[in-house]
Amino acid sequence: MNLFRSEEHIERWLGGRPPGATIGAGTLSELAHAWWSDRLAADWQPRTRDENQAILDAVGLTGRFWQLPRGSSRRGETSTGVL
Amino acid sequence: MMNDADLRVRRATYRLFVELGRAPTVDETSNALDAPAADIGAAWHRLHDEHALVLQRSATEIRMANPFSAVPTAYRVNADDRWWYANCAWDAFGICAALGAHGTVESSCADCGEPLTVHVAGQRPIDDELLFHCLVPASAWWDDIVFT
Repeated sequence: MNLFRSEEHIERWLGGRPPGATIGAGTLSELAHAWWSDRLAADWQPRTRDENQAILDAVGLTGRFWQLPRGSSRRGETSTGVL
Repeated sequence: MMNDADLRVRRATYRLFVELGRAPTVDETSNALDAPAADIGAAWHRLHDEHALVLQRSATEIRMANPFSAVPTAYRVNADDRWWYANCAWDAFGICAALGAHGTVESSCADCGEPLTVHVAGQRPIDDELLFHCLVPASAWWDDIVFT
């Protein structure tokens, strides 16, 4: 999960590897604030997989690449990833 | 599933991370919670298994309290009058979000190494021309979280 100056730099860095997904810094910051802003809250609770997916969806990160692994959707069952 | 006791340890760990400006040790967390060190270590391992924090591979020490990194990385963030290390570009912006603060992200282009500085104010980067590339699909982020 890296920053680059331009698409040209990403392509060169990939060196022929299949690309992942590229977004602008503005979208990244929007995602980061939606994802991390509760992390130091005194009443923090782990989110479910579906709640995390909803955050990705809300900032326009949809499609197969951004699909979190399916697992339990019970709150606190976080083996699918709190990150 | 995280129980209330583990959540208490997790919250204390994060609180201490921010207070100290670095990852707390088992003993520091034990003292803060007035709990046996062995209980803190066991809770950290359960939280690691639940992806609520990341431990070093061979020691009961914090590696990541996402978005904060306990070890130096290529992503430095100045926020809330202190320098922090982030685990990746996403986490760098996440530190500003978690602290509820304006900040400055310092890194470099992963391709050419040119220094990159991004100021974040009001949850937005001042310069949003830079690009973020995520190589690993979301379904595999936790297969190797350090690589991700």
